[in-house]
Amino acid sequence: MMSPDPNTDTMHPQLMLLMELQDLRSQHRELEKDDGSAPVEREHFHIDPAEARAQLAEKISELEERLDPQVRARYERIRPQRERVVVPVINGVCYGCFVSIATATVGDQEVHQELQSCENCGSFIYVVS
Amino acid sequence: MKLRKLFTTDSVELNLESETKDEVLKELIQLLGLDDKSEAILFKTLKRRENLGSTGIGKGIAIPHCRSLVVNELRLAYGRKPEGIDFQAIDDEPVHNLFLIVAPPLEVSNQYLPVLGKIAQFAKDPDIPEKLQEIDEATQFLDLLEERAP
Repeated sequence: MMSPDPNTDTMHPQLMLLMELQDLRSQHRELEKDDGSAPVEREHFHIDPAEARAQLAEKISELEERLDPQVRARYERIRPQRERVVVPVINGVCYGCFVSIATATVGDQEVHQELQSCENCGSFIYVVS
Repeated sequence: MKLRKLFTTDSVELNLESETKDEVLKELIQLLGLDDKSEAILFKTLKRRENLGSTGIGKGIAIPHCRSLVVNELRLAYGRKPEGIDFQAIDDEPVHNLFLIVAPPLEVSNQYLPVLGKIAQFAKDPDIPEKLQEIDEATQFLDLLEERAP
């Protein structure tokens, strides 16, 4: 059974926050599109997409307020240029720009203790093992 | 895409132990075999989705689902709670069968929404809940998917 207080102390809290924001934005974006999740959510889960988007937007604003000023500034800078502020790194490749990331960056087991970004596209990165 | 191909016996648990909605979400997440950090992030994202409205769609079925950075491909798990659990389902009845669906934000094959719809259709089939209760082994669950969700 997973601990009720999951061990997340090895992850940079701002990265955790950015990832939460990213996931909420994904949900919000998907509910906007007619070919996105809105029809499925409406039909099978009785969700009102507009209402759900409003709730998500409120939560997104709340979490954005919790970003450190420097991180917030970078977040705001990246967001208009890229759909995703945090991107996964899979098999050493940044999925924001599809360029290989330096082995030293992704190979460190404690990689999530620091807030890192792709040197090529500037997106915050999260290494998916 | 056949639903059968998206599950393995490791991602099926026929006797969930949890007694609360939060615990059962965590137990389902564990079936995906992620690391602790990823489990914690995924739990938060699923909870946020549940806050929009329960994914308990009635007739003892729940389909918690979300997109999350913590997976790099579409991942599914199935859990059964024979005694039922309060999931704040839309019919206020206990939930016995839970299908977890997690997709990455970027998905080349775009399977997430079709699979979500397909699982919902499968689970709503009138005799499926009863058939799910009769299953004794994970392989029988996979056989049922093969037979009823080709």
